[in-house]
Amino acid sequence: MSDPAQLARDRAEIKDLMGRYLFAMDWHDTEAYAACFTEDGVLDYAMATLTGREEIRRGAEKFRDAVGDLFKREDGSPALLRHVLDHIVIRVEGDEAWTTAFWWEMTDGGPGRTPEIQSFGTYEDELVRVNGQWLFRRRKIYNELIPGRETPAENPVRHYDAAAQAAAKRN
Amino acid sequence: MSGAVMQAGYAEDRAAIEDLMARYLFAMDWGDYEAYLDMFTEDGELEFVRGTAKGRQAISESVRAFKQSIGQFYKDADGNPAILRHIISQTVIRIEGDRAFAVAFWWEMANDGPGGKPKPGTFGTYEDELVKQDGRWLFSKRRILNEFLEGRGTGEVNPVRLLDERAQRARA
Repeated sequence: MSDPAQLARDRAEIKDLMGRYLFAMDWHDTEAYAACFTEDGVLDYAMATLTGREEIRRGAEKFRDAVGDLFKREDGSPALLRHVLDHIVIRVEGDEAWTTAFWWEMTDGGPGRTPEIQSFGTYEDELVRVNGQWLFRRRKIYNELIPGRETPAENPVRHYDAAAQAAAKRN
Repeated sequence: MSGAVMQAGYAEDRAAIEDLMARYLFAMDWGDYEAYLDMFTEDGELEFVRGTAKGRQAISESVRAFKQSIGQFYKDADGNPAILRHIISQTVIRIEGDRAFAVAFWWEMANDGPGGKPKPGTFGTYEDELVKQDGRWLFSKRRILNEFLEGRGTGEVNPVRLLDERAQRARA
Protein backbone atom coordinates (compact mmCIF):
# COMPACT_ATOMS: atom_id res chain seq x y z
CA MET A 1 0.00 0.00 0.00
CA SER A 2 1.52 3.31 -1.09
CA ASP A 3 1.91 6.30 1.20
CA PRO A 4 -1.13 8.57 0.59
CA ALA A 5 0.90 11.80 0.66
CA GLN A 6 3.32 10.42 -1.92
CA LEU A 7 0.40 9.19 -4.02
CA ALA A 8 -1.17 12.67 -4.05
CA ARG A 9 2.17 14.18 -5.13
CA ASP A 10 2.65 11.56 -7.84
CA ARG A 11 -0.89 12.10 -9.07
CA ALA A 12 -0.35 15.87 -9.29
CA GLU A 13 2.92 15.42 -11.20
CA ILE A 14 1.46 12.87 -13.61
CA LYS A 15 -1.54 15.09 -14.31
CA ASP A 16 0.87 17.92 -15.07
CA LEU A 17 2.80 15.73 -17.52
CA MET A 18 -0.45 14.80 -19.24
CA GLY A 19 -1.33 18.49 -19.52
CA ARG A 20 2.07 19.37 -20.96
CA TYR A 21 1.75 16.55 -23.46
CA LEU A 22 -1.51 17.96 -24.84
CA PHE A 23 -0.23 21.53 -25.09
CA ALA A 24 2.89 20.25 -26.87
CA MET A 25 0.75 18.25 -29.29
CA ASP A 26 -1.83 20.91 -30.09
CA TRP A 27 0.81 23.65 -30.49
CA HIS A 28 3.09 21.31 -32.47
CA ASP A 29 6.01 21.71 -30.09
CA THR A 30 7.57 18.48 -31.24
CA GLU A 31 10.63 18.72 -28.93
CA ALA A 32 8.49 19.19 -25.82
CA TYR A 33 6.20 16.42 -27.04
CA ALA A 34 9.03 13.90 -27.40
CA ALA A 35 10.48 15.00 -24.03
CA CYS A 36 7.36 13.62 -22.32
CA PHE A 37 8.65 10.12 -23.12
CA THR A 38 11.60 8.13 -21.77
CA GLU A 39 14.61 7.79 -24.09
CA ASP A 40 13.29 4.40 -25.23
CA GLY A 41 9.62 5.31 -24.83
CA VAL A 42 6.93 3.84 -27.09
CA LEU A 43 4.01 5.69 -28.66
CA ASP A 44 1.35 3.39 -30.07
CA TYR A 45 -1.31 5.35 -31.98
CA ALA A 46 -3.45 5.25 -35.11
CA MET A 47 -0.68 6.28 -37.51
CA ALA A 48 2.12 4.02 -36.23
CA THR A 49 3.99 2.52 -33.29
CA LEU A 50 7.10 4.59 -32.62
CA THR A 51 10.04 3.79 -30.37
CA GLY A 52 12.47 6.28 -28.86
CA ARG A 53 12.35 10.05 -28.57
CA GLU A 54 13.73 10.75 -32.03
CA GLU A 55 11.13 8.58 -33.77
CA ILE A 56 8.40 10.09 -31.62
CA ARG A 57 9.57 13.62 -32.45
CA ARG A 58 9.48 12.82 -36.17
CA GLY A 59 6.04 11.24 -35.70
CA ALA A 60 4.86 14.50 -34.13
CA GLU A 61 6.14 16.38 -37.19
CA LYS A 62 4.18 14.05 -39.45
CA PHE A 63 1.10 14.60 -37.32
CA ARG A 64 1.61 18.36 -37.61
CA ASP A 65 1.82 18.10 -41.41
CA ALA A 66 -1.14 15.72 -41.73
CA VAL A 67 -3.52 17.41 -39.34
CA GLY A 68 -4.13 20.44 -41.56
CA ASP A 69 -5.47 18.13 -44.27
CA LEU A 70 -7.46 16.07 -41.83
CA PHE A 71 -9.39 18.90 -40.19
CA LYS A 72 -10.52 21.91 -42.22
CA ARG A 73 -12.79 24.85 -41.68
CA GLU A 74 -15.68 25.52 -44.03
CA ASP A 75 -13.48 27.91 -46.05
CA GLY A 76 -10.92 25.14 -46.56
CA SER A 77 -8.27 26.60 -44.26
CA PRO A 78 -6.67 24.27 -41.69
CA ALA A 79 -8.75 24.02 -38.53
CA LEU A 80 -7.43 24.43 -35.01
CA LEU A 81 -7.44 21.13 -33.14
CA ARG A 82 -7.65 20.90 -29.35
CA HIS A 83 -7.46 17.77 -27.25
CA VAL A 84 -9.23 17.68 -23.92
CA LEU A 85 -8.45 15.43 -21.00
CA ASP A 86 -11.00 14.76 -18.28
CA HIS A 87 -11.11 11.95 -15.73
CA ILE A 88 -7.96 9.97 -15.10
CA VAL A 89 -7.35 6.77 -13.13
CA ILE A 90 -3.77 6.59 -11.84
CA ARG A 91 -2.09 3.62 -10.14
CA VAL A 92 1.36 4.17 -8.67
CA GLU A 93 3.73 1.47 -7.41
CA GLY A 94 7.09 2.90 -6.39
CA ASP A 95 8.71 4.43 -9.46
CA GLU A 96 6.19 2.95 -11.88
CA ALA A 97 2.69 4.13 -12.68
CA TRP A 98 -0.23 3.15 -14.89
CA THR A 99 -3.01 5.39 -16.06
CA THR A 100 -6.29 5.12 -17.90
CA ALA A 101 -7.69 8.44 -19.07
CA PHE A 102 -10.55 9.70 -21.19
CA TRP A 103 -9.72 12.15 -24.00
CA TRP A 104 -11.74 13.89 -26.67
CA GLU A 105 -10.95 16.48 -29.29
CA MET A 106 -12.65 19.34 -31.05
CA THR A 107 -11.86 21.75 -33.84
CA ASP A 108 -13.06 25.16 -34.92
CA GLY A 109 -14.32 23.55 -38.12
CA GLY A 110 -18.05 23.49 -37.38
CA PRO A 111 -20.66 25.58 -39.28
CA GLY A 112 -19.76 29.27 -39.09
CA ARG A 113 -16.44 28.46 -37.39
CA THR A 114 -18.05 26.92 -34.32
CA PRO A 115 -16.52 24.17 -32.19
CA GLU A 116 -17.11 20.66 -33.49
CA ILE A 117 -16.30 17.48 -31.60
CA GLN A 118 -14.29 15.15 -33.81
CA SER A 119 -13.37 12.13 -31.82
CA PHE A 120 -12.93 10.52 -28.40
CA GLY A 121 -11.10 7.62 -26.84
CA THR A 122 -8.80 6.52 -24.05
CA TYR A 123 -5.13 6.79 -23.18
CA GLU A 124 -3.49 3.77 -21.61
CA ASP A 125 -0.12 4.71 -20.18
CA GLU A 126 2.82 3.14 -18.47
CA LEU A 127 5.03 5.67 -16.73
CA VAL A 128 8.33 5.52 -14.97
CA ARG A 129 10.08 8.00 -12.69
CA VAL A 130 13.49 8.90 -14.14
CA ASN A 131 15.70 11.17 -12.01
CA GLY A 132 12.67 12.33 -10.07
CA GLN A 133 10.58 13.06 -13.16
CA TRP A 134 7.61 11.06 -14.39
CA LEU A 135 7.78 10.17 -18.09
CA PHE A 136 5.77 7.97 -20.42
CA ARG A 137 7.43 4.62 -21.00
CA ARG A 138 4.53 3.64 -23.20
CA ARG A 139 1.44 5.48 -24.32
CA LYS A 140 -1.28 3.68 -26.24
CA ILE A 141 -3.98 5.85 -27.79
CA TYR A 142 -7.33 4.30 -28.47
CA ASN A 143 -9.84 6.15 -30.64
CA GLU A 144 -13.47 5.01 -30.69
CA LEU A 145 -14.06 6.66 -34.07
CA ILE A 146 -11.33 4.81 -35.96
CA PRO A 147 -12.28 1.21 -36.84
CA GLY A 148 -9.67 -1.14 -35.39
CA ARG A 149 -8.41 1.40 -32.83
CA GLU A 150 -11.33 1.21 -30.39
CA THR A 151 -10.67 0.63 -26.69
CA PRO A 152 -11.16 -3.10 -26.01
CA ALA A 153 -14.50 -4.21 -24.59
CA GLU A 154 -13.17 -5.00 -21.12
CA ASN A 155 -13.04 -2.13 -18.61
CA PRO A 156 -9.56 -0.72 -19.41
CA VAL A 157 -8.86 0.06 -15.75
CA ARG A 158 -8.78 -3.67 -14.95
CA HIS A 159 -5.88 -4.27 -17.28
CA TYR A 160 -3.64 -1.81 -15.45
CA ASP A 161 -4.78 -2.75 -11.98
CA ALA A 162 -3.44 -6.22 -12.76
CA ALA A 163 -0.12 -4.78 -13.98
CA ALA A 164 0.18 -2.61 -10.86
CA GLN A 165 -0.55 -5.56 -8.61
CA ALA A 166 2.12 -7.63 -10.33
CA ALA A 167 4.60 -4.77 -9.84
CA ALA A 168 3.66 -4.46 -6.17
CA LYS A 169 4.48 -8.14 -5.66
CA ARG A 170 7.80 -7.75 -7.44
CA ASN A 171 8.86 -4.77 -5.30
CA MET B 1 -20.26 31.63 4.58
CA SER B 2 -18.70 29.53 1.97
CA GLY B 3 -15.39 27.96 1.23
CA ALA B 4 -13.81 25.25 3.27
CA VAL B 5 -11.06 25.14 5.81
CA MET B 6 -9.09 22.26 4.48
CA GLN B 7 -7.96 19.67 6.96
CA ALA B 8 -4.48 18.20 6.81
CA GLY B 9 -4.32 15.43 4.25
CA TYR B 10 -6.82 17.16 1.97
CA ALA B 11 -4.69 16.61 -1.13
CA GLU B 12 -4.42 12.90 -0.38
CA ASP B 13 -8.13 12.49 0.17
CA ARG B 14 -8.95 14.55 -2.88
CA ALA B 15 -6.59 12.49 -5.03
CA ALA B 16 -8.21 9.26 -3.87
CA ILE B 17 -11.73 10.58 -4.49
CA GLU B 18 -10.84 11.93 -7.94
CA ASP B 19 -9.47 8.52 -8.79
CA LEU B 20 -12.62 6.80 -7.51
CA MET B 21 -14.81 9.09 -9.61
CA ALA B 22 -12.76 8.29 -12.70
CA ARG B 23 -12.94 4.56 -12.01
CA TYR B 24 -16.69 4.89 -11.62
CA LEU B 25 -17.07 6.25 -15.16
CA PHE B 26 -14.87 3.60 -16.74
CA ALA B 27 -16.78 0.88 -14.88
CA MET B 28 -20.10 2.34 -15.96
CA ASP B 29 -19.27 2.96 -19.61
CA TRP B 30 -17.61 -0.42 -20.04
CA GLY B 31 -20.40 -2.26 -18.17
CA ASP B 32 -18.06 -3.58 -15.47
CA TYR B 33 -20.73 -4.03 -12.79
CA GLU B 34 -18.48 -5.80 -10.33
CA ALA B 35 -16.06 -2.86 -10.25
CA TYR B 36 -18.98 -0.44 -10.23
CA LEU B 37 -20.71 -1.96 -7.19
CA ASP B 38 -17.42 -2.26 -5.34
CA MET B 39 -17.29 1.56 -5.21
CA PHE B 40 -20.39 1.78 -3.01
CA THR B 41 -20.64 0.95 0.68
CA GLU B 42 -22.65 -2.20 1.45
CA ASP B 43 -25.69 -0.06 2.26
CA GLY B 44 -24.85 2.60 -0.33
CA GLU B 45 -27.56 4.54 -2.10
CA LEU B 46 -27.89 5.46 -5.74
CA GLU B 47 -30.54 8.00 -6.58
CA PHE B 48 -31.17 8.65 -10.28
CA VAL B 49 -33.94 8.84 -12.83
CA ARG B 50 -35.18 5.33 -12.01
CA GLY B 51 -35.56 6.16 -8.32
CA THR B 52 -33.46 5.28 -5.29
CA ALA B 53 -31.70 1.95 -5.02
CA LYS B 54 -30.31 1.06 -1.59
CA GLY B 55 -27.69 -1.61 -1.08
CA ARG B 56 -25.38 -3.18 -3.64
CA GLN B 57 -27.91 -5.74 -4.85
CA ALA B 58 -30.59 -3.15 -5.55
CA ILE B 59 -28.06 -0.85 -7.22
CA SER B 60 -26.88 -3.72 -9.40
CA GLU B 61 -30.38 -4.49 -10.66
CA SER B 62 -31.27 -0.87 -11.22
CA VAL B 63 -28.10 0.02 -13.10
CA ARG B 64 -28.23 -3.03 -15.36
CA ALA B 65 -31.80 -2.26 -16.34
CA PHE B 66 -30.89 1.37 -16.97
CA LYS B 67 -27.90 0.45 -19.12
CA GLN B 68 -30.09 -1.78 -21.27
CA SER B 69 -32.71 0.89 -21.79
CA ILE B 70 -30.21 3.62 -22.59
CA GLY B 71 -28.68 1.38 -25.28
CA GLN B 72 -31.99 1.61 -27.11
CA PHE B 73 -31.95 5.39 -26.83
CA TYR B 74 -28.50 6.12 -28.27
CA LYS B 75 -28.05 4.71 -31.78
CA ASP B 76 -25.41 5.46 -34.36
CA ALA B 77 -26.19 6.39 -37.99
CA ASP B 78 -26.58 2.68 -38.91
CA GLY B 79 -29.01 1.99 -36.06
CA ASN B 80 -26.47 0.09 -33.95
CA PRO B 81 -26.09 0.93 -30.25
CA ALA B 82 -23.86 4.01 -30.11
CA ILE B 83 -20.68 4.23 -28.08
CA LEU B 84 -21.72 6.35 -25.11
CA ARG B 85 -19.16 8.00 -22.83
CA HIS B 86 -19.69 9.94 -19.63
CA ILE B 87 -17.28 12.73 -18.83
CA ILE B 88 -16.53 14.38 -15.54
CA SER B 89 -15.00 17.83 -15.45
CA GLN B 90 -14.71 20.14 -12.42
CA THR B 91 -15.27 18.67 -8.98
CA VAL B 92 -15.75 20.31 -5.58
CA ILE B 93 -14.84 18.06 -2.67
CA ARG B 94 -15.27 18.77 1.05
CA ILE B 95 -13.75 16.44 3.59
CA GLU B 96 -15.03 16.17 7.16
CA GLY B 97 -13.00 13.50 8.92
CA ASP B 98 -13.93 10.13 7.41
CA ARG B 99 -16.81 11.62 5.49
CA ALA B 100 -16.73 13.61 2.29
CA PHE B 101 -19.19 15.62 0.24
CA ALA B 102 -18.76 16.27 -3.45
CA VAL B 103 -20.41 18.01 -6.35
CA ALA B 104 -19.20 17.31 -9.86
CA PHE B 105 -20.20 18.41 -13.31
CA TRP B 106 -20.78 15.56 -15.75
CA TRP B 107 -21.80 15.42 -19.38
CA GLU B 108 -21.94 12.71 -22.00
CA MET B 109 -21.30 12.21 -25.66
CA ALA B 110 -21.88 9.42 -28.16
CA ASN B 111 -20.93 8.70 -31.77
CA ASP B 112 -24.49 9.37 -32.87
CA GLY B 113 -23.95 12.72 -34.61
CA PRO B 114 -24.24 13.40 -38.34
CA GLY B 115 -21.80 11.24 -40.32
CA GLY B 116 -20.98 9.18 -37.24
CA LYS B 117 -19.38 12.13 -35.50
CA PRO B 118 -19.51 12.61 -31.76
CA LYS B 119 -22.41 14.58 -30.41
CA PRO B 120 -22.97 15.82 -26.84
CA GLY B 121 -25.90 14.12 -25.14
CA THR B 122 -27.06 15.47 -21.82
CA PHE B 123 -25.36 17.05 -18.79
CA GLY B 124 -25.97 17.39 -15.10
CA THR B 125 -24.34 17.10 -11.71
CA TYR B 126 -23.34 14.40 -9.29
CA GLU B 127 -24.09 15.08 -5.63
CA ASP B 128 -22.13 12.63 -3.54
CA GLU B 129 -21.54 11.57 0.00
CA LEU B 130 -18.57 9.39 0.66
CA VAL B 131 -17.09 7.55 3.61
CA LYS B 132 -13.61 6.27 4.22
CA GLN B 133 -13.69 2.59 5.18
CA ASP B 134 -10.42 0.74 5.91
CA GLY B 135 -8.51 3.57 4.28
CA ARG B 136 -10.59 3.51 1.10
CA TRP B 137 -13.13 6.10 -0.01
CA LEU B 138 -16.51 4.73 -1.13
CA PHE B 139 -19.79 6.28 -2.19
CA SER B 140 -22.39 6.06 0.57
CA LYS B 141 -24.75 8.07 -1.59
CA ARG B 142 -24.59 9.21 -5.18
CA ARG B 143 -27.32 11.42 -6.55
CA ILE B 144 -27.33 11.80 -10.33
CA LEU B 145 -29.08 14.90 -11.56
CA ASN B 146 -29.74 15.52 -15.23
CA GLU B 147 -30.82 18.94 -16.51
CA PHE B 148 -32.66 17.32 -19.44
CA LEU B 149 -34.99 15.09 -17.45
CA GLU B 150 -38.22 16.43 -15.99
CA GLY B 151 -37.91 16.75 -12.22
CA ARG B 152 -34.27 15.63 -12.20
CA GLY B 153 -32.58 18.99 -12.73
CA THR B 154 -30.06 20.41 -10.27
CA GLY B 155 -32.32 23.31 -9.38
CA GLU B 156 -31.69 27.02 -9.04
CA VAL B 157 -29.55 27.05 -5.91
CA ASN B 158 -25.79 26.70 -6.41
CA PRO B 159 -25.28 23.01 -5.53
CA VAL B 160 -21.98 23.83 -3.83
CA ARG B 161 -23.86 25.98 -1.31
CA LEU B 162 -25.99 22.94 -0.44
CA LEU B 163 -22.88 20.82 -0.21
CA ASP B 164 -21.27 23.29 2.20
CA GLU B 165 -24.40 23.17 4.34
CA ARG B 166 -24.37 19.37 4.40
CA ALA B 167 -20.71 19.39 5.35
CA GLN B 168 -21.35 21.93 8.12
CA ARG B 169 -24.09 19.74 9.56
CA ALA B 170 -21.77 16.74 9.48
CA ARG B 171 -19.16 18.72 11.39
CA ALA B 172 -21.64 19.84 14.05
